[in-house]
Amino acid sequence: MQTIEETLRTFIAENIIFSSDGFPYTDETSFLENGIVDSTTVLELVLFIEQQFSISIKDSEVIPENFDSISCLAKFIKSKA
Amino acid sequence: MTRYPAWRNLSSPKLNLPAPDYLAEIMNTADYLLNSANDDALAIITKDVQVSYGVFKRICSWLFNELKNQKLEPGDRVAVWGFNSPYWAAAYLAIMKIGAVAVPISTLLPADDIKRNMVFAGCKFLFADRFLYAKHQGQLGEFPHFILDNQLLNVGDCGWDTPDGEFDIDNNAALMFTSGTTSSPRAVRITHRNIQANTQSIVKYLELNSDERMMVILPFFYCYGASLLHTHLRAGATLVISNSFAYPETVLNLMEKTNCTGFAGVPSTFQTLLRNSTFPTRTLPHLRKVQQAGGKLHDSLLRELVNSHPNAQVYVMYGQTEATARLSYLPPELINSKFGSVGKGIPGVTLSIVREEDGECVCAGEIGEIIARGDNISPGYFGDLEATQEKFSHGILYTGDMATVDEDGFIYIVDRKSDFIKSYGHRVSSYEIESCVLQIPYVVAAAAVGVPDENAGEMIKVFVILRDKSTNKVDDVMDYCHSHLARYMWPQEIVITKSFPMNAHGKVIKSELRKIGMH
Repeated sequence: MQTIEETLRTFIAENIIFSSDGFPYTDETSFLENGIVDSTTVLELVLFIEQQFSISIKDSEVIPENFDSISCLAKFIKSKA
Repeated sequence: MTRYPAWRNLSSPKLNLPAPDYLAEIMNTADYLLNSANDDALAIITKDVQVSYGVFKRICSWLFNELKNQKLEPGDRVAVWGFNSPYWAAAYLAIMKIGAVAVPISTLLPADDIKRNMVFAGCKFLFADRFLYAKHQGQLGEFPHFILDNQLLNVGDCGWDTPDGEFDIDNNAALMFTSGTTSSPRAVRITHRNIQANTQSIVKYLELNSDERMMVILPFFYCYGASLLHTHLRAGATLVISNSFAYPETVLNLMEKTNCTGFAGVPSTFQTLLRNSTFPTRTLPHLRKVQQAGGKLHDSLLRELVNSHPNAQVYVMYGQTEATARLSYLPPELINSKFGSVGKGIPGVTLSIVREEDGECVCAGEIGEIIARGDNISPGYFGDLEATQEKFSHGILYTGDMATVDEDGFIYIVDRKSDFIKSYGHRVSSYEIESCVLQIPYVVAAAAVGVPDENAGEMIKVFVILRDKSTNKVDDVMDYCHSHLARYMWPQEIVITKSFPMNAHGKVIKSELRKIGMH
């Protein structure tokens, strides 16, 4: 079974950065600083996480502290589980 | 291209015109923008620094001096490439001050296109953001440049003397690349007169003063973002900068923290704020002016925006890069009585709606093209006579936007000329279909296009983004259209999608959607 981090890496690679070589960054890479996300793709990410991990995310929780890297996201998802 | 006969005999192109009477004296745009500021007041706030006008002027003078050392000739082009920052703004002003032409370069372009745009504009020097330059240096190759970063906060005053030679207010001040979807670059020539006229007009109708604190999320390389810079510097006010809208909550937190009085966005900004953020439920007690331009905000979202913060005035505005930025605005007190209108021409701008057939002004309710005259209208495109002749004629801008007027002269945009769908002999407004679909609560965004069809001429396809990922809503959306739209406007197909192709300024690229729709 895939870890949370692996699931996120695969989703971002295939649906957000359209990379055929997987997720080419580290888990600590900032999405913002590297132009990986914008306001539309962040929403895609929110929807994916809500459905994939069966959690509900409030608008106020969509902040860089929770969302700006694979590590941040994984930690956030674990805290909601 | 032959233009409308009725307009052929209008006055000749504006050359060697005197300064407009609302400009007290002819001056360089850099001086014009800085001369009302108090040195102790804050010019720019970012998440990291607060820069007073005094410090900002020192940075301007340092970069001005740097350009002097480069021995540039008047009219030489200088690129400025970076995220919004005090340093970007100072470089932009320094370029104008020395008599060169500022060429803002989008931060969203890949390295090849950056290079292409700089070559296209014939740039001789580059001011570049440290982060971006480091990232793309390998692909850009060697180019004379100066790095913009926070070391500039500590520079001393290097003087701000006007260069020798007579200043001509009709010289180019900037070349602004348009958000158009053409594959080849297109840059609009913006003169000192254009900027000063548009700035003066906007400051007047928005009643901007030095107390304003404007939250800026729009890039300065985009005409709307540049106009926020121009107008708030001119007013001696403060710009609060956030370089990403990926996390709207961060922007809203910064607005709260810095007591922002103003916010400006394009339709996609407000769509995100209203549907996917805490904006509607926040109090934002200092917010008093909300500016909406850059495309038409659909009716349902505009109503939500107006109702979300009753103490803030909502200014619906309309403009184009070819008009420096702004052409019209709707006074906020008329937002309900003239709902959906983009208002009338701003001070100094004359707008008319003319028939395509004969160039005569339309009657109330009739559809025609918006044409504009005023000191903010660009003289044309850089190095592109054909495109210039297509869009400009005798100082008149042919906007390509189709609109109607009511009995009181208020303008209502119907669609882009190129976005009308010609289906079964009808001219169908894509906007009307989108407005209808957007009334469905679970629809986040909609875009209607016409794709070639043997029987219909063009078949109506509507691309829809849903709030959740369910894909079984196609029939529901279609049913809604059938019960709310005239028969000839019914879509032939509803396509559920996750995102739209968007340009750098947040507008849906319909030409791309049409291509997708054909497959």
